[in-house]
This record gives sequence, C-alpha cells and structure tokens, in this order.
Amino acid sequence: MSSAEATPAVVAAGLRKSYDGRVAVDGIDFVVEPGICFGFLGPNGAGKTTTMKMIYGLASIDGGELAVLGKEATRQRRAIKQRLGVVPQETNLDGELTVRENLTVHARYFGIDPDCAARRADELLEFSLLSDRAGERVWALSGGMKRRLLVARALINEPDLVVLDEPTTGLDPQARLAVWRALDRLKRRGVTLLMTTHYMEEAARLCDRLVIMDHGKIVTEGEPGALVLEHVGREVLELQLAEGCDADQLLASLDGRLEGHDFAEDLLMLYTSDAEALLAEIDHRSYPHESAIARQATLEDVFLRLTGRSLRE
Amino acid sequence: MQEGAYAGLGPRIPLRDLVPSPRHAAAVWLRNALVFSKLWKGVLLPQFLDPLFYLVALGFGLGTYIARINGVPYEDFIAPGLIASAAMWSAAFETTYNVYLRMNETRLYDAVLATPVEVQDLVAGDLAWSASRAAVYGTSFLVIVTAFGLISSWWAVLIPLFVLLGGLCFSVVGYTFTSLIPKIDLYSYFFTLFITPMFLFSGIFFPFERLPGWVEVVAWFTPLFHMVEITRGLATGPDALEIAAHTAWLVVVSAVLFYVPVRALRSRLVA
Repeated sequence: MSSAEATPAVVAAGLRKSYDGRVAVDGIDFVVEPGICFGFLGPNGAGKTTTMKMIYGLASIDGGELAVLGKEATRQRRAIKQRLGVVPQETNLDGELTVRENLTVHARYFGIDPDCAARRADELLEFSLLSDRAGERVWALSGGMKRRLLVARALINEPDLVVLDEPTTGLDPQARLAVWRALDRLKRRGVTLLMTTHYMEEAARLCDRLVIMDHGKIVTEGEPGALVLEHVGREVLELQLAEGCDADQLLASLDGRLEGHDFAEDLLMLYTSDAEALLAEIDHRSYPHESAIARQATLEDVFLRLTGRSLRE
Repeated sequence: MQEGAYAGLGPRIPLRDLVPSPRHAAAVWLRNALVFSKLWKGVLLPQFLDPLFYLVALGFGLGTYIARINGVPYEDFIAPGLIASAAMWSAAFETTYNVYLRMNETRLYDAVLATPVEVQDLVAGDLAWSASRAAVYGTSFLVIVTAFGLISSWWAVLIPLFVLLGGLCFSVVGYTFTSLIPKIDLYSYFFTLFITPMFLFSGIFFPFERLPGWVEVVAWFTPLFHMVEITRGLATGPDALEIAAHTAWLVVVSAVLFYVPVRALRSRLVA
C-alpha cells in the first residue's frame, strides 16, 4: 500500500455549516478510509448534501476542520477538486453539447490534453454503455442515461475520490442496476466512493461503512450489517394491531423475549432473534391483530428507529 | 435551499479568490466558443444583420435628407458608431440571458465549479469569450461598412482590437447586472433603461455639439460613448491622445467592475 492510499480520503472534525442562521451541519466528525464505499443516510434536510458540497468545494465551511485527500478543504480547494469526481444530485449536464463533448469539454476544466481526453471519453462512453449515443445532444437521453453520463463525467480525471449525491434517485430498477454495476466496478478498481442515498437496499448493497445523519448530526456510524444487529437485531415481527388490543400488556407478556420494540399508531415492531417463533408464542385471542409479518431486520429498520417515523419537510 | 438564489453582493472575498488562472479561464472560453461554433450559422445569424438595417434605414434612408454632419456624409458619420453598438449588443446578449440560464436554470456552473475551475476563472473565461464574440460581430460589420466605402482611414485596421476591449467593458457591465439580479424578468430594465438609451444617446446618430452640455456629461459615464469615440476616430483619422483617454476609461472600468460579479457569484454559487 502506498502512502497516498494510507491517507484517509476525508477527515472531518467538528464540521459546521449554517445557511442564514439555520443550522445545516451541526458539528460532525467522520473519517473515510481510502478504497471503501462510505454512505451518508438521513431524511431530507439532515445535512447530507451540504456535507457533500463542503467536500467538493461548493459550500463554504463555517467551523471545524475538513481535510480531503490529505489537503485542507478551504485553502487547497483547487488541488482537491483536481483529484475529485462529483456526481451531483441535480442533473447539470451541458445541454448545448453532445454526449461525447460533455466528457471532452469537462476534461478541459482539469487541464487534460485533448488526445488523452478523447481516449478517456471513448472508454467512459463504453463503460457507461453510451457509445452509440455519443453524437446526440444530451436532452435526447433518458433519465437513466443522463445519470450514467454524469457518472462517466465524474470519472474523466481518473479521480481518487468520487462523491455521489443520490446517484440513483428517480431511476427505474434497470437503470439503477446499471449505475450500481458501474459503482461496483469502480470499487474494484480501488476508487474511494462517498455517497448519499435514500435507498436502504442501495446503501446495504454498496456501502462498506455508513453514517446516519439527522438534524445536522451523525446519529450512528458503522458497517451496515453490524448496525442492523446493534440497533434492531436479527429479525422483525410487524404486527398491525386490531382494535382493542392492548399493546402494553402484549409487550409485558413478551418480557425477556424482545431485543427492542417500536410502536407507532397501530403498528407494533418487535425486534427479536426469531420472528416466526415469537409469532407462535403470541396469544392471538388476547392480543388480536389484523396482520403479522415476520421478516429479516434491515437497514431501513435502523434508519426509522434512529430518525423516527414522522414525515420530514 | 438558498443555493443559487439572489444573494446580493455577498461577503467580501480574499484577494486570492479574485485572481483568475489563465489556463482554467481558457477552458471556459473554449467551451463557449465550441457552443458558438455550432450556433452562429443558425440562431445567431440575425444579430449580424441588425446593424446593417440601421445603416440602410438611417444612413442611406434618412441620410439622404441630411446633407452632412461635421463635414462628412451621414452614412459615413454613423457607420463607425454602429460597429461599436454591434459589439455592445453582442456582449449584452451574451452576458445576460445566456449567463443567467447557465447559472440558475441548467446549473452548468455548479458542474464547472466542482472541477478545478474557480469562480474567478469562470467569470474571466465568460467575459473573455463575450468580448471575443463582440469583436467578431464588430469586425464583421467593419468589413461590411468598408465594402460600402464608408471608412476613410487606414487606422481602421486597429478597430478589431479596440472592439475587443470595448466588448470586454460591455460584458463586465452585463455580467455585473446578471450577478446581482434575483429574477430573470429584470432584464427588461437592463435593456430598456440602459442598453437602448445608451444606443440612442452615445453619439452614434447625432453629435453632442448642439445639445445641452449635461447630455454629453451623462454619456461620458457609459462605455458606448467612449467606444464610439474610438471607432469614429480610427475610421476617420485618430487623435492619439483622445483614443488613449477613452481606452483608459474602458480599461479602468472593466478592471474595477470585475470584482463585483466574482464576489456576487461566489456568494451565489459557493455559499
């Protein structure tokens, strides 16, 4: 391992940011080790995008420290961006240009010479399955193609770190799979990925490590599987309680059998090591319920446990 | 979120955020030139003809009723000024709607600023391009009026150079307006209350001699007045000192005003 690889891709300490007095990021600490895929989860307004923007230089930093690829984020912005790839949340391709020109013109911003830019553009068009659309204007592309082109554009400078802000939001399942495959290939090449997402299965599938943010703070951090075990357990029994069912008594009757529970409206979530066995133990006549689902615990359970079930924004 | 929204002038910026990198500004220039190379034959062609209509209608039409102005035929009088205004219109279009859309609608600037290009490079590249485009329009019209035999001095070969400078000054003014407005609708103020009056009252169509003195004083504060003085001087035989004074005005205004859009765009796009 070279020394460059040993330096963390991102180190944030007490990082803060406010917009017009509203706190967006409220003193967060995290370290992204090189070569991994690191995820940021959280409800809308949690501060994920702001954190990404501070990393790629599109938001100023109000407080704390931020080092990206071993460089200080405010003073060495240009040097950091030279080694960074960015897939923004909003599609901001150059609508006046063709698909291929979007790559070659972007390459120029990095000072990549035209021959090298042309070669990389062709490679990336192939990588993102867009070779046959190279000469078309970008508005002719589907949403999934635009996303893939955004990913390709982010790779034109062969970055050490790629920041992806909700890379698959709004895509159909096939298009999402294509983006995932592209990200998998990048991971295998040893590129560090830093991504935000609303999709728990995406985070579970891609991320080696993740944080969950809420109200500008990091509420938990860890490996996806470990977080599920730590905060939820192995399995979940979801009970839709019928009218007249006393949840408190039911919980009391299961004392010692649960690793935790959540109760919202009529939905009782019981966290346990064996949901089927737990369901068999419940006296259906004393505790009537309309439906019961025994299933594996997921990252979604962790997310909802830590950030609540009420609607944001 | 407030990003991209109207942010006024924004907080002060350090000097290092004001000095553009020529290499990165050149990349922005090249992008704009590439887009222009695709568009000029189509949508942008009418703009080349604009000053020609003024020349024909006023110079050859109205001009037949006007004997001479300051000893020259009317069409000879207005032709050099129309070279200057062709550059002005070009710069005004380039630095208003085009820039606003890239900044606020297509969000292209977000993509560019996530590369090693910084705000000052972006502004410098856009301005350099807009000035170049203005020079293309001004020079095209110079060729046309030369073909009509309306240019009497060999000094006119220097006109493209000065049109480039004047184009830069118009561009900085337009870019400054763009960087400060919260809504795209406000361009009606820019064009109706600034560009059009400047076009009519900067000495292109009539000299200042018989007007009240304050008209020329007001005109002195607009870039087109200085530009017209330069192009007319070069087209008819220049007074070096006067040209130098007008050139200095354009250089100083361009340089000083550059600070405003850089600062405003930084607070708007990198808040």
